[in-house]
Amino acid sequence: MRRFGFTLSVSVLLAATLVALGVADGRFEQTLPVDRRIVHVLNRLTFGPQPGDLEQVRRIGIDRWIDLQLHPNRITENPIVERKLEPLGTLQLATWQILEKYPAAPAVLTARPPSAIAFSSLPQQQAIRLVNCSVDERRTMLASLEPDTRRLVLAGAPAQALDGLPADLQQEAAAARTAEQQERQKELRRLMPPLNELLTPDQIRTANTGTPEEKRALFNTFDADKRRLVLRALPLQAFTNLPEVRREAMAASQPQPFVNAELSEQKLYRAIYSNRQLEEVLVDFWMNHFNVFNGKGPDRALLTSFERDAIRPHVFGRFQDLLLATARHPAMLFYLDNWQSQAPREDLPVPPGVRRPGLNENYGRELMELHTLGVDGGYTQDDVMAVARAFTGWTIYDPQKFAEFQFNPAVHDRREKIVLGQTIPAMGGEEDGLRVIEILARHPSTAHFISKKLAQRFVADDPPRSLVDRMAATFTKTDGDLRAVLHTMFSSPEFFSDGAWRVKLKSPLEMVVSAVRALNADVTDTFALAQRIADLGEPLYGKLEPTGYPNTGEAWTNTAGVLGRINVAAALVGGQVPGVKVDLSRFNFKNPAAVAGALLSVAPSPSMLSAVENGVHGKEATPSMLATLVIGSPDFQRR
Amino acid sequence: MLTRRFFLRASAVAMAGVGVAPPWLVRAAAQAGTKRKILVAIFQRGAADGLNIVVPFFEKLYYELRPTIAVPAPGKANGVIDLDGRFGLHPALQSLKPLWDGGHLAIVEAVGSPDPTRSHFDAQDFMESGTPGKLSEDGWLNRALPPAGPDVSPLRAIAIGTQLPRTLHGSRAAVAVNNLEQFQVRNQGAGSILERMYATTADAKLMASGKQTFDAVKMIEAIARTPYVPASGAQYQGELGRSLQQIARLIKADVGVEAAFADIGGWDHHSNEAPQLTNLLQQFGNSLAAFARDMGDRMEDVVVVTMSEFGRTVKEDGNNGTDHGHGNVMMVLGGPVRGGTIYGGWPGLEPEQLYERRDLAVTTDFRDVLGELVSDHLGQKSDQVFPGYQRGQSIGLLKT
Repeated sequence: MRRFGFTLSVSVLLAATLVALGVADGRFEQTLPVDRRIVHVLNRLTFGPQPGDLEQVRRIGIDRWIDLQLHPNRITENPIVERKLEPLGTLQLATWQILEKYPAAPAVLTARPPSAIAFSSLPQQQAIRLVNCSVDERRTMLASLEPDTRRLVLAGAPAQALDGLPADLQQEAAAARTAEQQERQKELRRLMPPLNELLTPDQIRTANTGTPEEKRALFNTFDADKRRLVLRALPLQAFTNLPEVRREAMAASQPQPFVNAELSEQKLYRAIYSNRQLEEVLVDFWMNHFNVFNGKGPDRALLTSFERDAIRPHVFGRFQDLLLATARHPAMLFYLDNWQSQAPREDLPVPPGVRRPGLNENYGRELMELHTLGVDGGYTQDDVMAVARAFTGWTIYDPQKFAEFQFNPAVHDRREKIVLGQTIPAMGGEEDGLRVIEILARHPSTAHFISKKLAQRFVADDPPRSLVDRMAATFTKTDGDLRAVLHTMFSSPEFFSDGAWRVKLKSPLEMVVSAVRALNADVTDTFALAQRIADLGEPLYGKLEPTGYPNTGEAWTNTAGVLGRINVAAALVGGQVPGVKVDLSRFNFKNPAAVAGALLSVAPSPSMLSAVENGVHGKEATPSMLATLVIGSPDFQRR
Repeated sequence: MLTRRFFLRASAVAMAGVGVAPPWLVRAAAQAGTKRKILVAIFQRGAADGLNIVVPFFEKLYYELRPTIAVPAPGKANGVIDLDGRFGLHPALQSLKPLWDGGHLAIVEAVGSPDPTRSHFDAQDFMESGTPGKLSEDGWLNRALPPAGPDVSPLRAIAIGTQLPRTLHGSRAAVAVNNLEQFQVRNQGAGSILERMYATTADAKLMASGKQTFDAVKMIEAIARTPYVPASGAQYQGELGRSLQQIARLIKADVGVEAAFADIGGWDHHSNEAPQLTNLLQQFGNSLAAFARDMGDRMEDVVVVTMSEFGRTVKEDGNNGTDHGHGNVMMVLGGPVRGGTIYGGWPGLEPEQLYERRDLAVTTDFRDVLGELVSDHLGQKSDQVFPGYQRGQSIGLLKT
């Protein structure tokens, strides 16, 4: 038996290898029949068909439907989208408004402690002496200070300043540090008292485990101040099925994660309900291509504008405009460190302990490797440095308060640069970066790299070269017109071929959203849904590395993935995801084939159908059981 | 205290209750107590700054080139922990010092890949596949396992996380487990039908993953029934700690683990390196130390090896951080290790000694380290695991 399993899997692997070789069996040359074409465009240009979509595409006609998706402003938006997004107040705010209203942390946490202020207020000569001079000199210097000042300076001084000082001074420093910390703790406790100082034990119980109605009634008995303190002290699980209270609580307790949570809600609502599906698929694609991680400093609060202002307006526009918008956006400048990159100044005398201005290669490298040319696109380490030098001075004006793009000529590298063989003359200033964007956007490697990545998303993990070449030709001919490149792809025989049919494995986002759409679920809150997607390995806006999430199936087919998908299916169908209501009454008295066909938009595979028909008997064949099996099936994992 | 043999018997019996005890569990129960060599690989993603992890404090140039981020010499405030008068551990790695003193921790300096790439993703792929300069579909640790015999466990190769890393991709069954406690099919009724569905699908990839999934689920359900308390008061820390604790739990449950993988991200410190590195290293050091403590005697059969795709520039950059470099450091930890020694030649930090005049040069190929563990610890042929690579002189990392 085991031996049989082993030989079987070897032969299957062989078969898979042959398929991976693609053209070998000519599958990209076999045209799909018409009924499959309709399902295919829905699987690829949307987040999955919902009831009624097939009929709609059939009525409009495939070509015209694709054309409409390529021109989303000609599609009437689903009024539900506007209704769902309306309460999400941060979506329309400018970044400075977000930062003003939702600061990174309460002032008591961010304000510099008196000791740090005292140390940094010392005259520079004294500060340097305190860090670098002998024990005796430091003692003399400290003795010259007022006692109150000295205590604070000792508390705020770096470790090396205290190194070797006598015990009494060490003790004084330690005592001062402790006193300051205690003061801060006290202040924190005043601002954020724990729950048991705010509520009676009974109230705490209700707040944590009561029904939504009981909780709402309890919270409504507090005045505004107390309500804020209570909501802030409760864990977020306490607000299950109370989305509006959860938003209020999160805005008070974690302002910047709250901003990003609203962005995630927006993403899911649009993915689930928008009629402009291709636009949403592309926003997801390009957000992933120009990945920015929500866990890096202020990026959490900058992503709202990044998606809205840098990505969304350009997904059907010119690649160069998209690239430039991302290059100048504070979210990217911060994420890949360019905002701090400065012309190297070896000539400048700097006091010890003070940093010497210098280059940061991070953005320059990823710009070429990940955003434009691709890793084999023909650039060298010298190109990386030249590009980094060209972008020196592209920085952020006041990242904590305004976070706007700013060019700072003072730190720009004024010398000549040679990028991919092209000379950028000295003294170009801000223009240097624009030149680089232009060189990269027009480079043949970029045309190819972007075309291939799009084809991987929309056609197959290993798309046929012929198709990628034609897309790249369109890219070059139209100076990077992304709508034209998409049109070339969607009108190609390869796109509508057997080789593309249901070969793409859904990413976690695609799997969950397609299930919600297929089930025609009523979604009133996406918080728990987003958590499910994160548990499957794709936290929204949460990819740490600049590569973004994998564009191909390999990464998602593993045990944790299969198990997670099966469990998500059961949870969604079983109504265990708060905020997602599923009505299965349309499947009452339907047989397994009919339920599977409705949820998959195609007939189920024979192996799947036979497993269901042999596995569920009589009364067990409830709509809920059947839907769980279909959504968890191998068939449903492909699009 | 329950013996391992007892535990397996109990599991086999418990599982017999819900269905048929799988043959491998019965076999594993019969074989409990037979010794099995285990290799645990830890990947530090993002290019960890080896020069600030194991610090060459004897190098004047180290301090000159890193005026704001160098770790002070031993004896100074927040200074390095002296290991041999030349190199020292970052102070956040205090918890590893007892392992060094006990001879269980070895360090390989100036180790890395011959490939010049400074792309994280290429370099990670090359290191994980074990074939620098060209990408292979499978990973070195997968190839390092012998072909599946009849007694092989579905949990022989495990990665903690939602994705299976390239290191473990390949023809030997390997399992990604995010969380042992939650590794179960929630809807039991649907479970058996889905199992059948995945077993019979024409979709080869999903069929293979499905089979591994359902096999692993049965085994892990049996383990997860008993709550886990780390031994000897071991205190795991952070995400890496969570991963290593699960690996320890699986190894101690004697379910046939031969290879395990965990990773820890966030090492790409282009700016403001010092505080971030301190935080990460605390998690890193405390988790490794907790793992060794928790494993206790079982460390006799375990080797842990750490790696990162490349090192970072010797000179700090303009933002109190470092850019992508070349040579790095690896740690090898475990009972069989000849520890307390720094291995690998030190290339020096003079401009002409640096790789491309900016990065620490590589004097030891990472495949020399891994190859030695594959051959001397796992007993496999390293030239099959690292095809086309002729290993250099033996480093002597393991006791013979």
